[in-house]
Amino acid sequence: MNFFERIQKLDRRWIYLLVALTVGIPLVFVYDSPTHTTETTENIYQMIDNFAEINERGDERRAILMNFQHDASTLPELGPMQVAILRHAFLRGVPVFTFTIFTTAAPLIDLTIDNVKRDLQQQHPDIEIVSGVHYINIGFKPPALYLPIILGMGDDIAEALETDAEGRNIADLPMMEGIRNYDQMNLVLHFSGSDFGQAWFMYARSQYGVNVASGITAVIAPDTYPYLQTGQLIGHLGGLKGAAEYEKMVDLFAARGRPFSRDIARSEHVSIVDEDVPILFRTARIGMNSQTAAHLMMIIFIIVGNVGYFAEKRKEAKQMDL
Amino acid sequence: MFEVIGTWVAAFCTLSIFSFLYKDNPFYRFVEHLFIGVSVGYGLPIVYHNVFIPYVYTPIFLRHEFIIIIPSLIGFLFVFRFHSKLSWLSRYPITFSMGMVGLGVPMSLHANTLVQMRSSMLPLTNINLVVIFVGTVTILFYFFFSKAHEGTYKSFTRIGVWYMMIGFGASFGYTVMARLSLLIGRIQFLVGDWLGLIQ
Repeated sequence: MNFFERIQKLDRRWIYLLVALTVGIPLVFVYDSPTHTTETTENIYQMIDNFAEINERGDERRAILMNFQHDASTLPELGPMQVAILRHAFLRGVPVFTFTIFTTAAPLIDLTIDNVKRDLQQQHPDIEIVSGVHYINIGFKPPALYLPIILGMGDDIAEALETDAEGRNIADLPMMEGIRNYDQMNLVLHFSGSDFGQAWFMYARSQYGVNVASGITAVIAPDTYPYLQTGQLIGHLGGLKGAAEYEKMVDLFAARGRPFSRDIARSEHVSIVDEDVPILFRTARIGMNSQTAAHLMMIIFIIVGNVGYFAEKRKEAKQMDL
Repeated sequence: MFEVIGTWVAAFCTLSIFSFLYKDNPFYRFVEHLFIGVSVGYGLPIVYHNVFIPYVYTPIFLRHEFIIIIPSLIGFLFVFRFHSKLSWLSRYPITFSMGMVGLGVPMSLHANTLVQMRSSMLPLTNINLVVIFVGTVTILFYFFFSKAHEGTYKSFTRIGVWYMMIGFGASFGYTVMARLSLLIGRIQFLVGDWLGLIQ
């Protein structure tokens, strides 16, 4: 039995072990690698940064809504992007609403906010993030109210949502000062592993002009491109790669107090082995190291498997001729 | 302390699920059933506290908004789904759900069809638009079954097939990336949160 025949008959459990090692080793021995940003991710970053500038001028207010439409099964992909966006918004003073219609997403919102607050204060002790002042966690709302809430927020957010996750009247919270409807809360970020926010651009964008972006698992990322082309989505974060891009931009600009620039985002490198930055804020980029190693391994397997397949066919053909 | 116990339980569950890759075993089956039980057990009190209390109990019993009794009773008819003779009653709340589908039709048509068509009818000013135009037309012709796919027409529809194959390949590539990301997330948890090897 030659090498290729052995490969064709290899027990798949050896492959699983090899995949586990290929993924695990780059996570333990972290090496520096570049992250290239793309336009669809930069658009989201730029819009949130623009909101921060409007808020700094003081004449108008802008806020964002993060819709957690998933459970823990997609957290490895969606979690790092939510962390990166929350970190960006908190660093730049952009008010954030968080919301879900998934019962299982409610604790994920608490977990994400708590983790970001903890690590952000560790990195920037002068920053204090307070519930009701810098963010409002609306928490879980019944799925039957999804559409009435989407449409209702076009008139009055406080009236459509009534109370937050802690049972407080939203209208009474300090963050609501100057924020009434989609004119102020002008960006919705929809995080999901199964849809890319159609409800938001079908109802809220077409009727009220709200900007919609999606943070999605890589599985459904290709489905969003037609909607990016039409402008119905202003941008998307596609899987771990999208999260890694956003992490880099937050490190490059918001964490250093620099204004956003596409040229700088695409040309400057940020080290991912910088231990001053908490691991939580580098998770996606470290994960992309494993992603690269696993992709290379798979490409090699596909090539070796195909060479083996054709070699075996050729051998069979020769035997037939004899 | 609870965080440490939680991490160990999560590590045990993760390894039990991964053990299926070697072969089916009682640990895998135990954790699989545990997951279903915990999901349902967690969902019930959440729905009770976040749906029944604020939207049924409080309005009716504390604010005396008795009009809420009508939609509550209509919703309650869903329970008859489990009764063999009275299951027909559960169709009434379903009709209201179907009405919501009707509300979505014009908006869906606008967002998913009309806007997409408009963006496909642009002047062919750059190479990207030419690529999109050729792809859209050839794929539409491929799905036109009133004419046999023969001769020149077949060659034309073949281009559409190639476009679709490239599209499926891109989708599959993204899917592989997604599945690997899930594995990366779990291994990050095991080697980082559990074993503390990621610094």
